Amino acid sequence: MAIMRDAAPSDLVVPAGADAAGARGRGWIGRYWPIGIGILMAVAMVIMAVAAPLLSPFSPSAQFGDAVLKGPGFLDRHLLGTDEFGRDILSRVIWGARISLEVGLASVIFGFGLGVPLGIYAGFRGGKIETAIMRATDMLMAFPTLLLALIIVTALGGSLQNEILAIGVALTPNFVRLSRSLTLTIRESDYISAARALGAGQLRMMARHVFPNTLYALVVVATLYIATAIRTEASLSFLGLGIPPPTPSWGNILSEGRQYIKCCPWITTFSGLAIMLAVLAFNLVGDALRDLLDPRLRGE
Amino acid sequence: MFQYALRRLVVAIPMLLGAMSIVFFAMRILPGDPCVAMMGDQATTEALADCTRNLGLQRPLAVQYADYLWRSVQFDFGKSFRHGYPVNEYIIRMFPHTLILVLASAIVAALVGIPTGILSALKRRSPLIDYPIRIIALLGLSMPVFWLGILLLIVFSLRLDLFPLIGGGDLDAVIAMLGSGEAFRYPGDFLAAVGDVLHHLALPAFALGFTLAATVSRLSRSAMLEVVSQDYIRTARAKGQIERAVIYKHALRNMMVPLLTIIGLFVAIALTGTVLTETVFTRPGLGKMLVDAIGSRDYPLAQGAITVFTMTIIAVNLVVDLLYAVVDPRITYR
Repeated sequence: MAIMRDAAPSDLVVPAGADAAGARGRGWIGRYWPIGIGILMAVAMVIMAVAAPLLSPFSPSAQFGDAVLKGPGFLDRHLLGTDEFGRDILSRVIWGARISLEVGLASVIFGFGLGVPLGIYAGFRGGKIETAIMRATDMLMAFPTLLLALIIVTALGGSLQNEILAIGVALTPNFVRLSRSLTLTIRESDYISAARALGAGQLRMMARHVFPNTLYALVVVATLYIATAIRTEASLSFLGLGIPPPTPSWGNILSEGRQYIKCCPWITTFSGLAIMLAVLAFNLVGDALRDLLDPRLRGE
Repeated sequence: MFQYALRRLVVAIPMLLGAMSIVFFAMRILPGDPCVAMMGDQATTEALADCTRNLGLQRPLAVQYADYLWRSVQFDFGKSFRHGYPVNEYIIRMFPHTLILVLASAIVAALVGIPTGILSALKRRSPLIDYPIRIIALLGLSMPVFWLGILLLIVFSLRLDLFPLIGGGDLDAVIAMLGSGEAFRYPGDFLAAVGDVLHHLALPAFALGFTLAATVSRLSRSAMLEVVSQDYIRTARAKGQIERAVIYKHALRNMMVPLLTIIGLFVAIALTGTVLTETVFTRPGLGKMLVDAIGSRDYPLAQGAITVFTMTIIAVNLVVDLLYAVVDPRITYR
């Protein structure tokens, strides 16, 4: 018995303790590295967009006649090469981040601002108002985001505001649906009954009690929709329906570079890479936030 | 079941009408006169009046709207502004090109996405299987299809010269040969034509298929994770069944319902994807037709293409909803 007592703790505790610590460490890294990398990339994108005048080596529209369609080089004046007008690709990609992020953030804010109040109102009030809002949402949901944005941009013409409006409207039904379904659950909570018993008005209950409780899920989804919005903006610009040149956006740099893929693939390669990294950054953050905040997935 | 199908159909009709109304009014709020947009500033007043009359734009909006709806349900979208041919003829000619692209990319996406998603779920947290698959899926999800397409063109068409740079092959000839029976009389010619079409299809299908596979893989993974955490899986394991039987007999079958949802989503994403893929690969198809029509301000053609896209998506979602009941007997409809 004595031998067993002596042996048992040392056999069990030491390896188990080390293993648990290792697993905890791995779990922590495993859980937080995607959001860490995502946030780093997203912050880098935001800094690039905000500090574009400071970071870009040249003006995005400056033309260098002596360096038309010049390839990229580490020690060259033009690190990522130049386009058909001799414009510096690096500067254009840096300035392009502005358009992408502006459209990405502004259209999500637009969709959120329009969709969430409608969704909460529909979910909280119910009845005919709910039916009307949800039928309208269903109609818009019949269109994929890009197709709806494409219809609106075609109707209004390509400009920054119109792109934000088009993508924002295209994203709105998603926010309406999600906030409504969250509201339907929250509506039945005890704290809503308590607020009602205390004599709170409907508007107050929606603003002070329902909205804050829908927020965590909506923020996660909003982050993922920033990625969708950036990709949609790039797609519209690529199709020639976005912000017209010479203003640089990643999509129109790529679209212009398409004619030169045979001689000068760097134009399309770098602008496309920028789109992918930006979309990836917000997808990573959104995915990681969902895993962290969704109670069903917590601890897995 | 029949009652449910009927009710679901009745719900789909106003949805379709609403979607078509959005298309109609979006095309009508265009800044300026469509005739001026189409013919340019140099057009004479007579020519503009002629154009307006031909398009029926002088009629009240409500009449135009009713006319558009009535003709759309008869699959009549008017004549193309630019070419003068009926829009439905274009759509019928372009539809097979888009259909084979969607089907081929669906095959790529299903063959790549479903097994990797399942594997990723079953080997969850495995640094050698789950993590790489999830990272690749996230990259695929973030990679715009038009960029992947251009990269594929640069490597496989321009550098290695393995695949054609533009075009979709002579699909019309293949269809004509099938229709006339020549396919059976001259099998060599037929196979050569089919081979040419597949040769043109390979890169676009891979580009679109890969980006779709990312979505399919992620959805399959979460569907599988959901299924394996169910009580009946634990019961099956507790009975002492071997793991393979648990997965094949219990888990995979129950993944069918979530997978059906994927199909509905998939068609919407794939159709949007064809707009970009066909443009990048300069392939004929409904997507390219839509972009060209918008570029040349050919509104009847654009309207027709968007209406067909929307009709297809609504129809597929309807079919998926009905299939739920067939696949999963637990789902009953009141």
